[in-house]
Amino acid sequence: MTLWQTTRMGLTALIVILGLASAVWAGDARQELAKTSTLEQVMQRGVLKVGFSTFVPWAMKDKNGDFVGFEIDVARRLADDMGVKVQFVPTKWDGIIPALLSGKFDIIIGGMGITPSRNLKVNFSSPYEFTGMSVVASRQAAPGKSSLADFNSPDVTVAVRLGTTAEKAAKNFLPKAQLRQFSDEAASIQELLNGKAQCLVASNPLPRNLAAKYPDQLYLPMQEDFTREPIGFAVRKGDPDFLNYLNNWIRVANAEGWLDARFTYWFNGEEWKSLVE
Amino acid sequence: MRNRKLRVTPLDAAVLLLLTGAALAFGYRVAGDLNYRWDWSSMPHYLLRWDAKEQTWRAGLLLQGLFVTLRLSVLSGLLATLFGMVMGLFRTSRSPLRQMIGGAYVGLVRNTPPLVLVFVFYYFLGDQIMAALGVNDLVYTLPKHVQSALEFALGPVEQIPAFLSAVLTLALFEGAYITEIVRAGVESVEKGQWEASAALGFSRWGRLRHVILPQALVRMIPALAGQFISTIKDSAIVSIISIQELTFAGQELMAATYRTFEIWTLVLALYFAMTFPLSLGVRALEGRMNKFRNGL
Repeated sequence: MTLWQTTRMGLTALIVILGLASAVWAGDARQELAKTSTLEQVMQRGVLKVGFSTFVPWAMKDKNGDFVGFEIDVARRLADDMGVKVQFVPTKWDGIIPALLSGKFDIIIGGMGITPSRNLKVNFSSPYEFTGMSVVASRQAAPGKSSLADFNSPDVTVAVRLGTTAEKAAKNFLPKAQLRQFSDEAASIQELLNGKAQCLVASNPLPRNLAAKYPDQLYLPMQEDFTREPIGFAVRKGDPDFLNYLNNWIRVANAEGWLDARFTYWFNGEEWKSLVE
Repeated sequence: MRNRKLRVTPLDAAVLLLLTGAALAFGYRVAGDLNYRWDWSSMPHYLLRWDAKEQTWRAGLLLQGLFVTLRLSVLSGLLATLFGMVMGLFRTSRSPLRQMIGGAYVGLVRNTPPLVLVFVFYYFLGDQIMAALGVNDLVYTLPKHVQSALEFALGPVEQIPAFLSAVLTLALFEGAYITEIVRAGVESVEKGQWEASAALGFSRWGRLRHVILPQALVRMIPALAGQFISTIKDSAIVSIISIQELTFAGQELMAATYRTFEIWTLVLALYFAMTFPLSLGVRALEGRMNKFRNGL
């Protein structure tokens, strides 16, 4: 064996060993990633912790103190399909993302609209539903308006819930109007009923329900929603396994028509109203 | 004062009439201008409800919230008293180190807004402490009867870690005020008492325990009672970290039903129902102590 051959053999051996080692190492990293995935942790714990905020009819408490709503159905079915129990963690909307990041729960299933700024902090699944913004206006304070442009003037006050996509929509579509932000929905509705705000921007079905509940005081200027926003599950960043599971779950639930059926039940029907009040 | 007969003079009647009139006018304005449809029909259900499945009465959502508030205030009140006692004695101690620890504690906690403190503590410190103690896993591994005992004292098992961190935060916060009450109490005892007990050959701890603290405690009671009552009301701030106490329960209900005014009214009445008996109790206690002191 010449010196050249020896060197070549040695080098080849070295490359093979290094290659094998790195392949093994990569395998380790993959296993490590899978082990730390929320999916794996949920399976081991046997409990899926779900964060959400009360938001009619997405998620709310019924008369007996049990949680009901579209998102509750979704969470129940998701946990069921994973073969684990579900634990609901009601959380204030303003603190829901920090609570997810600090591990108070595994996933937000709470009608959360996918936005670029939220997406910088959390990962979103593919959208499983869409929601649209709508306007409900006061008959006394803003009579006879029929388009968004009618509301876009400095003498119009718009009530919105703080930190929601309604706030963004109002800023985008009604830049000239004055915004009044409220941390809960009930206060913004009261402002509208008192005529201090001319209109309220919120995702349907709230505007529709309000107009139906107070027909002498409120009306819907436009029948159609003016936005169409994707709603996704939010999970902590850097967890491809969990995201993959969620995306495929959505695909299956959509294909069965189950998601649409539940959505129709909660958003276009009235049957569930007796559960709550 | 107490023994005098109650007599209603024309002036009293006029004032009473005026007040009733003002209340009615206010009520009328609220009902008229507020554009709000009052509907009390479903409210009793939120206090007590009949469980048809198990044939028993159950606490409604608001009453459940009230129980959480009670647990929260009793536990954090006790813990705050402990913190306050230790730190108060530190503040009145002769050791500069202890004085500094006590001073730093009061200065730090009393000069930060409670809302921010609760938030920071819950998301940064609370988690670390709970994880270090292993509370999360511990509660699940306990035997059934211990779990049900815990559930009585601390609430539903899955909420215990969050609940404990809320108790700790509130206790730290209220403890700073109690520290100052304790310091004021100890310092209000005349210097002669210290000197006299020193002359009797008591150690410093002995002097505190047998002579100073018994006198200081009596003087501290009104302030301590006030602090405890405000602990009950302050406990509402932990609703921002989603502890399901009375305020949180009320807000959730409002979000679900939009019955804002009825629910706030009920919440108000429930807080009053908790704190008013306490005020009466303390007044009675003070009366007895005054009698005792005057009799001496």
